Amino acid sequence: MMDIGKILDLFKSELVVINVGSHTFASALEKQGYTAVQVDWVPPAGGDKKLQEILKIMGGLH
Amino acid sequence: MTIEERITKANEKVMEIFLTGRPVWTDVRPAIEVVPGMRKNLILHPGPPIDKDHIVFPLRNSISGAAVHEKLADTVEEAWRMVLAGEIEIAPAQNYQCSCAAAMVMSASMPVIVVEDKTSGGKGFSTPHPGSNPKVLRWGLYDAEVEQDLRVFRDEYCPYLGEAVRTSGGMDIINILSKTAGMGDENHNRQPAGSMCLALTLAPYLLDCNAPRKAVKDFLANDRFFLNPLMAASGSICASAKQVKESTVMVGMGGNGEDFGIQVSGTGNAWYISEAPYILGTFLKPNYTVDDLLRYMGDSCVTEVYGFGGMCAIAGPAYMRLTGSTFEEAISRTEKAHSVSLGEHTFAPVPWNKYKGMPVGIDIRKVVGFNVLPISHGGSGLKTGGQAGAGSAQLPMDCFKKALLGMAEELQIV
Repeated sequence: MMDIGKILDLFKSELVVINVGSHTFASALEKQGYTAVQVDWVPPAGGDKKLQEILKIMGGLH
Repeated sequence: MTIEERITKANEKVMEIFLTGRPVWTDVRPAIEVVPGMRKNLILHPGPPIDKDHIVFPLRNSISGAAVHEKLADTVEEAWRMVLAGEIEIAPAQNYQCSCAAAMVMSASMPVIVVEDKTSGGKGFSTPHPGSNPKVLRWGLYDAEVEQDLRVFRDEYCPYLGEAVRTSGGMDIINILSKTAGMGDENHNRQPAGSMCLALTLAPYLLDCNAPRKAVKDFLANDRFFLNPLMAASGSICASAKQVKESTVMVGMGGNGEDFGIQVSGTGNAWYISEAPYILGTFLKPNYTVDDLLRYMGDSCVTEVYGFGGMCAIAGPAYMRLTGSTFEEAISRTEKAHSVSLGEHTFAPVPWNKYKGMPVGIDIRKVVGFNVLPISHGGSGLKTGGQAGAGSAQLPMDCFKKALLGMAEELQIV
C-alpha cells in the first residue's frame, strides 16, 4: 500500500527541481522563487541521428 | 564477433601500448639519418596538412628559413617559391613519427632526439628545445642571427648532446616522470621538475664528453628542456599504436595556426580537420590582445595524447594560476579527460588527487557520444611571429565527429 502521508509531506517541503533538457523550464521556476538545478546534459552526439546510429553499432558508451 | 567487440579488442591492444610503454631517449642524430622517409628536400611541419595559399606567416617563415638553412634556396622568398612549385616538399611531421613544437619545423640536417619504446619497438623524433632565447625558428622567426643560432645548435651543441645520451646508456623517460611525480609539472607547458631531473642525470655525461661551456650552460639553464624528449617519447608510443587496426583511440593531434587535426589509431595517418581554436589564458606582454593571436599551432600537444598537459591539469596547479585559471578548473579538466579515456598511467600518481594516475587513451566514441571535449594546454603564437602567451583550448568537436565517420567508413558501417 502506498504511503500517501509521505507523498503529502513531499508537497509540503521546500521544492527543489532537477531539470534535464531545455534550461527554460529551470529559469521559469527560478523566476518564481524556486530552486532549480540544471543538469549539464545534451543528447548523445549532440542529437546527430547519423552519428547516434553509428555509435549504436560501435558501442563504447558505458 | 560484433563490431563493438572488435573495437574493444583493438582498443585493449592500443591501451597495452600506452600503459606498458617504456620510452627511452637513446640518441641525437641528423633527421635524415634516423627519420624514416626523410629526404633532403622535405620539410616537416606541425599540425595537419597545410593549404599553401592560406599558410600563416610564422609557419611560412619557418619552412622558408629551414629551406635556406638546408641551402635549398638562397633567400626565404626563393624558398617559398620552390615550396609553391613543389620543388621543396612539405608534410605533417606526425605522419613521419615526428613532432614540431609551436611553429618549429624539421629539415634534413637538423638534429633530432631519438626515443625508442623498449616495449613495443616504436620510435619517435623531435628537435631538442632551442633554449630560453625568444627569438627562434620555433616561433616562426628567421634572419641571419637565427640562422647562426641554428648552426651553432646543430654543429656545436647537439653532437655533444648525442654523445652524452649514448654514453649514459639512454635516458629513461618514465623514470624521470616517476621521480618528479607530485612536483607540480603537467609536463606539456610546465616541466621545471622534469627538466631539472633530466639535467641532473645527463649533466655528468655532458661534462665528460667535453661539451663546450656554452652548450652546457644553455642546457642546464632551460627549464623547458624536458618537453621535447617527452614529445618524442609520446611519438614513439603513437607510432606503435598507429599500427593497430580497428581502434578508436586518438593517436595524434596538432595545429598549423589555421587548422587543427586529430588522428585515430584505426585510420593511421589520416587527419580529421577543423578550424583551430585559439589558445587563451595569459599574455607575455600586457599590450597583446586576442586579435594578435594565431589559432592553435604546434605538435607539442602530442604529449596530451600520451596523458599530459590539460589531460592531467590537476598535476600542475601553478600552470592553472599562471594562465588565469583555478584549481577547480584543473579538477574539471582532469575529470573530463578521465570520462573519455580508456586508461590511467600508474607511474606518476598525483598526491593531491588521492594518488590517482593521469588519464590516457582518448576514445573518440566517448568524446562524441558523451559530448565531452578534452582541453589541451598550449603556448599561443603571434600572427607576426614570436610567442604571445600560454593557456588552454577546448579541442574542436568537429574533428571528433569526422573521425568517428572516418572510422565508420573504415569498418564499413556506412
